[in-house]
Amino acid sequence: MQADLTLLGLGPDGWGLALARAGLMTLYVSVAAFLSGLAFGTLIAWARVAGNWPLRKLAEAYATVFRGVPDILVIYLFYFGGRQVVTAIGTALGLSGPFDISGFLAGVLAIGLISAANQSEVLRGAYQAVPRGTIEAGRVVGMTRLILFRRVIAPQALVTAIPGMGNQWQSVIKESALVSVTGLVETMRQVAVAAGTTQEHFLFYAAGAIIYLIITTLSDHVFRLAERRSLRGHEQGGL
Amino acid sequence: MSLPSTALSIAGLRKSFGSNEVLRGIDLVAKDGDVISLIGASGSGKSTLLRCIPMLEIPDVGTVSVGEDSLSPTGGRLSRAQLAVARQMRGHLGFVFQNFNLWPHRTVLQNVIEAPLFVQSRPRAEAVEEATALLEKVGLAEKRDAWPAHLSGGQQQRVAIARALAQRPRAILFDEPTSALDPELVGEVLKVIRALAAEGRTMLIVTHEMGFAREVSSRVVFLHQGLIEEAGTPGQVFGNPASERCRAFLSGHFDRNR
Ligand SMILES: Nc1ncnc2c1ncn2[C@@H]1O[C@H](COP(=O)(O)OP(=O)(O)O)[C@@H](O)[C@H]1O
Ligand SMILES: [Mg+2]
Repeated sequence: MQADLTLLGLGPDGWGLALARAGLMTLYVSVAAFLSGLAFGTLIAWARVAGNWPLRKLAEAYATVFRGVPDILVIYLFYFGGRQVVTAIGTALGLSGPFDISGFLAGVLAIGLISAANQSEVLRGAYQAVPRGTIEAGRVVGMTRLILFRRVIAPQALVTAIPGMGNQWQSVIKESALVSVTGLVETMRQVAVAAGTTQEHFLFYAAGAIIYLIITTLSDHVFRLAERRSLRGHEQGGL
Repeated sequence: MSLPSTALSIAGLRKSFGSNEVLRGIDLVAKDGDVISLIGASGSGKSTLLRCIPMLEIPDVGTVSVGEDSLSPTGGRLSRAQLAVARQMRGHLGFVFQNFNLWPHRTVLQNVIEAPLFVQSRPRAEAVEEATALLEKVGLAEKRDAWPAHLSGGQQQRVAIARALAQRPRAILFDEPTSALDPELVGEVLKVIRALAAEGRTMLIVTHEMGFAREVSSRVVFLHQGLIEEAGTPGQVFGNPASERCRAFLSGHFDRNR
């Protein structure tokens, strides 16, 4: 086992640098997917809470579909299906191939849209947990809908949403491993390549696990910190 | 001396929830300086009446006026233009809820300056100065940086009163301000409302505290099944009510409180 460890180093035979880059790529993909999920999830949640009937039904259907279909299938659909669509369009326009789409983009979109469905659930639940009385108190002093949302609803809902959003972030990190099927060199892909090349499967998959654990543990701390800060003033928080 | 002008008026107000007709034609006027107590059995429509004034519930028909602003909604909804008027009206009212409804994510001071800053767009220094004076008035100056969750119910309700006063309201509406309080905390809130009455504030108070109502009110209104069944000075309504129902309601109440 001793010799093996140099494989993880920064030396000429070491995969250290490649693994670090791959870890960063995992982080990029996850952050991009989480943020697009947040943006889109907010829209979905809003449609479900405040939309008219067709909008509400559409948003519900969206959540049902993306929560009910395996994530890997959505990624295949976006990457391989997307490539097919792009090729068809390109050919129709008389352009010469080969056509390709970015694994990064397809992966981020696929995971972002899946995450949007889940995040919209968290956000909707958080909105519904805002005490009605505090909303009435805002209306009765003359707040507009926008001010009410910004000053009364959002700050309270975010507190409730933080733990759930932390969970969503953790799942996005783990789902980002699925993007390896597009050939994007993130952590999963990189350790698979290294394991195959060196035949040191246990070593590299263990290293991969550690990379994911570092990311998830650190972000767990960040979310806990955010939760503690935001709970100031609430019963659980203390001063 | 000029006569006090009308602070608030309600005319021909009706409101149903589905097939349940809760208010069946209410007329009520409060002149500046009036303290009107609304009494009546549970379910008689007191809260609904109070909530119709700032359009928290939208009347089916009828007119509500606060100072210069007046609204006559139809069909239980407000148009965009009417909503703007409703907001303006809300800006001239203070509303105190049974359950306080402070904003839990803001400190005591922040609760009081919230509307002055973010609705009325007053300068911060001015809003803080005024809020500090109001907190002094309700006896909570030293709690200005506390979180609502760390206050007793009585303290929270006094903050809610300071928040209502920060509206510089033409009239203040109270919906059973002491009903959610432990008995030993009722007194401190009633004391504050009493002081406001002594200042000549215009108030509409839904209450079950009959002794208090008798003492502070210029008029007492007894509501029964969505109609004003009896109205008059405290002496008339408590001393010699014309309505049999009012008499029965009061005797039940005083018996219970003995
Ligand atoms: N938002 C509402 N939806 C349906 N019914 C309501 C609503 N608010 C009040 N009611 C009904 O209206 C009637 C009067 O209620 P309320 O005004 O709260 O009476 P009070 O304050 O005198 O006890 C009750 O029968 C109550 O159930
Ligand atoms: Mg009531």
